[in-house]
Amino acid sequence: MPQQLSAKEQSLFRTVVRNYEDKQYKKGVKAADQILKKNPKHGDTLAMKALIMNSQGKTEEAFALAKIALQCDMKSHVCWHVYGLLYRAVKNFEEAIKAYKFALRLEPESQQIQRDLALLQVQMRDYQGYLVSRRSMLTSRSGLRQSWTALAVAHHLNGELSEAEGVLTTYEETLKNPPSKTDFENSEAVMYKNSLIAEQGNYQKALDHLESAGKHNLDKLAVLELRATYLAKLGRTEEAIKAYRALVDRNSEYKTYYDGLIAAMGIAPTDHKAMKAVYDEYAEKYPRCDAARRLPLDFLEGDDFRDCADKYIHRMLDKGVPSTFANLKHLYSSSSKKGILPALVQQYIDSGKSEANEEPKRNGDTSKGASAAYYFLSQHYNYYLSRDLDKAMEFIEKAIELEPNSVDFHLTKARIWKHYGDTQKASEAMEQARTLDTRDRHINTKAAKYQLRNNETEAAVKTMGMFTRAETVGGPLADLHDMQCVWYLTEDGQSYVRQGKLGLALKRFTAIYNIFDVWQEDQFDFHSFSLRKGQIRAYIEMIRWEDHLREHPFFSRAALSAVEVYLKIHDKPLANGVNGTGETNGEDAAERKKAAKKARKEAQKAEREALEKKSEPNKATREGDNDPKKKDDDPDGAKLAATTEPMNDAMKFLTPLLQFSPKSIDAQVAGFEVFIRRKKHILALKCLLAAAALDREHSKVHSHIVRFKLALDKDLETLPPKVAEVINSEFNLLPASTPLTQYNDEYLSKHKDCARRTLSALSVRKLLSPESSPACEKDVLSILKFPTVTFEEAKEALELLSSWRSSQLESFRSGAAEKWPKATIFAAST
Amino acid sequence: MDIRLLHPSDIPHVQHANITNLPENYFMKYYLYHALSWPQLSYVAVDVSRPKKTPYDYPRIVGYVLAKMEEDPPDGVQHGHITSLSVMRTHRRLGIAEKLMRQSQRAMVETFGAQYVSLHVRVSNNAALRLYRDTLGFKNEKIEAKYYADGEDAYSMKLDLGFVREQILDEQEEAEADEGEPVGSLGSKDDVNGEGKEKGDGKGKKRKVRVGRGLGVGDLVEKNESQKA
Repeated sequence: MPQQLSAKEQSLFRTVVRNYEDKQYKKGVKAADQILKKNPKHGDTLAMKALIMNSQGKTEEAFALAKIALQCDMKSHVCWHVYGLLYRAVKNFEEAIKAYKFALRLEPESQQIQRDLALLQVQMRDYQGYLVSRRSMLTSRSGLRQSWTALAVAHHLNGELSEAEGVLTTYEETLKNPPSKTDFENSEAVMYKNSLIAEQGNYQKALDHLESAGKHNLDKLAVLELRATYLAKLGRTEEAIKAYRALVDRNSEYKTYYDGLIAAMGIAPTDHKAMKAVYDEYAEKYPRCDAARRLPLDFLEGDDFRDCADKYIHRMLDKGVPSTFANLKHLYSSSSKKGILPALVQQYIDSGKSEANEEPKRNGDTSKGASAAYYFLSQHYNYYLSRDLDKAMEFIEKAIELEPNSVDFHLTKARIWKHYGDTQKASEAMEQARTLDTRDRHINTKAAKYQLRNNETEAAVKTMGMFTRAETVGGPLADLHDMQCVWYLTEDGQSYVRQGKLGLALKRFTAIYNIFDVWQEDQFDFHSFSLRKGQIRAYIEMIRWEDHLREHPFFSRAALSAVEVYLKIHDKPLANGVNGTGETNGEDAAERKKAAKKARKEAQKAEREALEKKSEPNKATREGDNDPKKKDDDPDGAKLAATTEPMNDAMKFLTPLLQFSPKSIDAQVAGFEVFIRRKKHILALKCLLAAAALDREHSKVHSHIVRFKLALDKDLETLPPKVAEVINSEFNLLPASTPLTQYNDEYLSKHKDCARRTLSALSVRKLLSPESSPACEKDVLSILKFPTVTFEEAKEALELLSSWRSSQLESFRSGAAEKWPKATIFAAST
Repeated sequence: MDIRLLHPSDIPHVQHANITNLPENYFMKYYLYHALSWPQLSYVAVDVSRPKKTPYDYPRIVGYVLAKMEEDPPDGVQHGHITSLSVMRTHRRLGIAEKLMRQSQRAMVETFGAQYVSLHVRVSNNAALRLYRDTLGFKNEKIEAKYYADGEDAYSMKLDLGFVREQILDEQEEAEADEGEPVGSLGSKDDVNGEGKEKGDGKGKKRKVRVGRGLGVGDLVEKNESQKA
């Protein structure tokens, strides 16, 4: 039986609640203790104390106390509510929902509990539960429009469109007077309803609704866009044309509008003349419009293309628009256009017209005329579809000669060095570009990126530090974490992978993982905020996006790198624990010992420096510096790298990859690598089948098929019969009667011109018949003679030979160095 | 380059463009706060011609304007505010910034009845000053000393949006004249305790419009906005 409080203590309890709400935690604990002195088993007080302690950062003690509170008073909704809030705080949403539900059962009338439950349900995408909650909330507050809209949203998210529409209509019918035209909430509710009607496919109804209820809507652009779409769908050609024209007039830089207009006009996609006429009309009407001049280049061919491109290029080069090449390079998928464009630029130079370069130059910007033309040609020869790096360098030098201080020109020079594979020169050139305009963060960013590519970690942080906030505790790197600077963390991590500092690499990739957690959590406040603001369509759009947030390439890039590192750690546990060089292949024990000693010394030095910093008397320490929660107990990721279960840890990154990017072959390949090591045969097969469905001839798919077969032969007897049965019926990628060696030989001869696939077949051959190793290793050298071999492929071959500790490594390196004389990676080590 | 509205799914790349170009950076939640409070106001310039490398490619953002309405404006006048605007160095001189701004300004008037739009700019940022002052017609209001984290001063600038309202009214008149319906109901909606003022619209017509009273910008809290969201 719960203890009862005296009147005086009841008032004291209310003080505790108030103290909590006012964030007067110390007072709150004191008052709670006062009650508990006489009533040590008073559940609600214990619970409130737990809640306050949680706010003070004492999470574990808070949970322990909350459990005691529940033991004292199982029937208290306060205890259950607090229990839920604690779980909510540590982001265990499932348990929080359970606790809220208990609390609500005990106190069905509590709006606070109901609200907390509803918000968690929608955050967790429990739409059916959310629907129940919203229905109940509507009953208690039916006068509020928000309550109705919220119920409609719940139906909508639960896939019940017509019910959602019905709820909005019911509310509208309760209105005695039409809302004012400036009532934003109403204006948005109308558009939301319209989107629901359209989503059900009833365009006539949607149009009628838009033209009546939406006529004077405040969101003018949405009305114009939707109206045009509906009219077009309904085949009301004349009106649709007019509607799309209104949109182009409003914004003539949006391809979608032109596409809509041309489609509404009934112009066939093959009728280039008619299409061009439409664009010409707007090019004339809007002299500063880019889209109307550029878009026809996408579909025009032959002489028409040449004329149009010539005009466009003249216009752009005369102006000195630096993005001219960037705007056109997508046309290079057509080989004729790829030939015409540089020829036109060359003519532009030869005609001498380019000399008219009179306007004073802006600080560091690309200039006009001849230099702009050289700049274009340099980018042309630097582009992967038309690459000739020596020519690219020649043209950029000409451009630089005309304008020695152009940031853009020097930036391109750095990119050319990058493509040569000379990371050192690339980094130096970008640094030079940076010094030409030290106030521009864009060039600063590039300089730091190129430093990271050249593994100059310290220098890169320093460069970034020129623009990060100086007052951030922990320096530039902390600021970059705070500001969720994904690109830097990714590049930094990948640079650490190259340097063999796997702990720091994992540290960075984990930071990105955490940023995505924050981005997911960020939506929480908007479940209530958006209803208050009345911006429903934008909210729904956010929900839809957040649903597949982790498909974003920002996530997959970091996640794939993390899995790669864990695979490395699994295959070759780190010799010296902390961020030692993972690649200690051929080195002897003494070498390793030296590295370990160095790492130890560095760690000690870092520790010492940290201590010195702390004891610096003149530096003001900000509040929160000594917050135990904030302190990172693994700043170098040593603990991450010291894992004894790397394949388990990899799952953290792999699971979202496979869930959200199943069509990424890289994700499936990574999945296979992890599952085959974990001896999860069915899951490995699932990845393999998915990868094969995406690209049956992929080099990795080929080697995985063979490796899977080998693993199967080895493990088949130990597998449960059901598993074996499933595998046998699903694994259909190998022809039954062909021996593996023959299968591999066939793949090799089929792809004898492709370096990457040849490498794959060679490593499979080595795997199948170890006695062929010397021959295989020698054959790797042959890829250097392939006409199509790329720098990247040669790099992979070098890594392969290195992982085999092959005696051919040096021959390959020198062969590659001949072919790519400027590439750092093939340079003889000194 | 497409110029179009900013969508929530654009935000990671907008954030990337921002931290690549500018020293003033924000959490993703602050972008969400803009996109979900005033979804009509923020625009992006998108490189649409780039071929997709994976099925999960998002369009690359080469420029953006992040805009808002001032909540509880100290002067009581509805007005917009530019939180951040930038264009990638590689895509300058195409007029992208101006086009982004014009779209946003129009929506401020149409959707939220903005009387003017304000912004801050570094006193040393000549390129931005040229855009705001010479191209878009912003006026210098005052200097805010040490506005930026590194101690630099800011110009507090302002643009009266009366001309946008004029333009909208003209277009509406034309459109409704075509349909044979009575003229304009839109102009009356923005009666925010303003005083009448004569304004020419450049086409010879003159109309009385309300543009709001003494437009002094009070304390703009932009510095601390990232905590507010």
